[in-house]
Amino acid sequence: MVDIELKRDRLTIRFKTQKWEWMIEPRYWRNSILWVALLLVFPAVSYFVSPGLINTMISANLLAAIAIPMSLMTLGTGRVNFGPNFYVGVGGYAAALLSIAYGWGPVATLPFAILTTLFAALIFSPLVIVARGLYYVLLSLLLPFVFFEVTVIYTDIFKGDTGLFGIKPLMDLGNAKINFLVLAYLSIFIMISYLLIVNKIIKSRYGLIMATINDDEEVAHGIGVNINKVKIISFVFAACLIGIVGWFYAHYFSSFSGQTYLTFTFMLKIFLAMMIGGRTQIFGCVVGGYFVAFLEMFLIRTMGPMQAFVFPIILIIFLFILPEGLFGIYRKRRYREYFPTIHVRR
Amino acid sequence: MAELLIVDNITKTFGGIVAVHNLSFSIQEGETLGFIGPNGAGKSTVVNVLSGYLEADSGKVEMNGVNITKMKPYQRVHIGLARTYQIPRPFPELTALTSVAASALCGKKRINQSFEDALVEATHYLEFVGLFSKRNILARDLTFYELRMLELARALATTPKLLFIDEVMAGLNPPEANNAVKLIARAKEEFGVTVFWIEHVMAVLMEAADRIIAINYGEKIADGTPDEVVNNEAVIEAYLGRGWKTYA
Repeated sequence: MVDIELKRDRLTIRFKTQKWEWMIEPRYWRNSILWVALLLVFPAVSYFVSPGLINTMISANLLAAIAIPMSLMTLGTGRVNFGPNFYVGVGGYAAALLSIAYGWGPVATLPFAILTTLFAALIFSPLVIVARGLYYVLLSLLLPFVFFEVTVIYTDIFKGDTGLFGIKPLMDLGNAKINFLVLAYLSIFIMISYLLIVNKIIKSRYGLIMATINDDEEVAHGIGVNINKVKIISFVFAACLIGIVGWFYAHYFSSFSGQTYLTFTFMLKIFLAMMIGGRTQIFGCVVGGYFVAFLEMFLIRTMGPMQAFVFPIILIIFLFILPEGLFGIYRKRRYREYFPTIHVRR
Repeated sequence: MAELLIVDNITKTFGGIVAVHNLSFSIQEGETLGFIGPNGAGKSTVVNVLSGYLEADSGKVEMNGVNITKMKPYQRVHIGLARTYQIPRPFPELTALTSVAASALCGKKRINQSFEDALVEATHYLEFVGLFSKRNILARDLTFYELRMLELARALATTPKLLFIDEVMAGLNPPEANNAVKLIARAKEEFGVTVFWIEHVMAVLMEAADRIIAINYGEKIADGTPDEVVNNEAVIEAYLGRGWKTYA
């Protein structure tokens, strides 16, 4: 007889002399295989049930893929950058312009998108040294808007009003539905790679060094941390990761427009994915990305034009109800982490 | 004893206010140097200049023959300077262990040091200051005394040659202060550090210091053994007062 017993933290299944235990207490879900498997199964199921969901899932993955490096940037620089979409714009425009001008495919444009973002991030990296607090917020907030203005002023190059069209698609397998499915897996791959890379960094000695900068920059300097070096490296590295998402957007939609990516709406979505997920917890970014993307889709379907008004209100209410974010509900059970975690200074 | 640190005519001004004026002194290797002066005399400014947080307007600071006047704080840590703060400044979101491990990782360069090595080393320093049982507690949840001890552990973990201690007694009750003094004496013995100690509690310095320097208005007014300094007329006039022994 199979005997199933549910205890506080585990599910025990006994069959004859055999015994299997499955930890259900969240702190033991160290092995993320379950979650990754869920992510991998979801597009395949949607393919048969509701193909429209795949599109939303791609948006969710990409939002998470921007929010994860953003968390790293926040941790490593000790400042919140309010213009992450600037680097989406730089990466996206670099890929789009090269693809249109020279007919290059996504593989050829990727290194240039990364290089352009790297260059742009290097140019603006001194901001993390010279500006802090409100000044940094304002300066970083201005960047995407200034870039948007530039795309409108030089509209013959950037097509700021209409957007760039005719970019080579990321892949063309002949069937639109299959294309979407493959792109969904590619977006999952990008998101999970970011998650693994950033998680690895945060749990390493470099993560600890970044955490000291996030906590108190001056004291970090006083214990021997070369703060300028760490801040610039984490800023530029995270910006490059965000730039790759811009490249993905450009080739995914075969079009790229500053109106979509360099405006306040898109920035708000990134921020909410980061904050609602769990106050810059990197795993929270995935939860936040999915939450924001699916909520938006749900509201568009149910409320139509009203969603533009209701969507931010619901999200702001969530920020008040769950100050630690959705991931914070889980985090409360293991308050004292052995390894440093990211916290935005309030 | 060889000279570990030589301060040569440093001056630091903030606008029109001269905080430190042509101050010169040296610190011998292995000694405990007390540094006293009335409030606003420029003691903390001197520590900030020596640890690299403030840049001197003029003058020169040399450590082991190396000119460190223009060096940044982290570079000074790498060559063996460490400091504690007058008001404890912990990393609030880090545990006691990780705070000290960060110091062990970033302080003086160790060859092939892994993250795990740093954690083991941090454990040693936490044990030394008596915070081993609090190793996994966030720094923001520690008491004031524990924060002071954590600061000391953090400074020692950078393996300094010269340790600046900025008013370690402030805010501690007598038994805690007593422990702190013993601990600093032990640290000096076990880790071979030279101590530069700013303090207002004269009784402590009389006991612990080998030499005392007194400053007032950013200028040196006395330099000598504790007995010489406390009997110096200028020091009594500017800082100690006539009946200081009654209150010390």
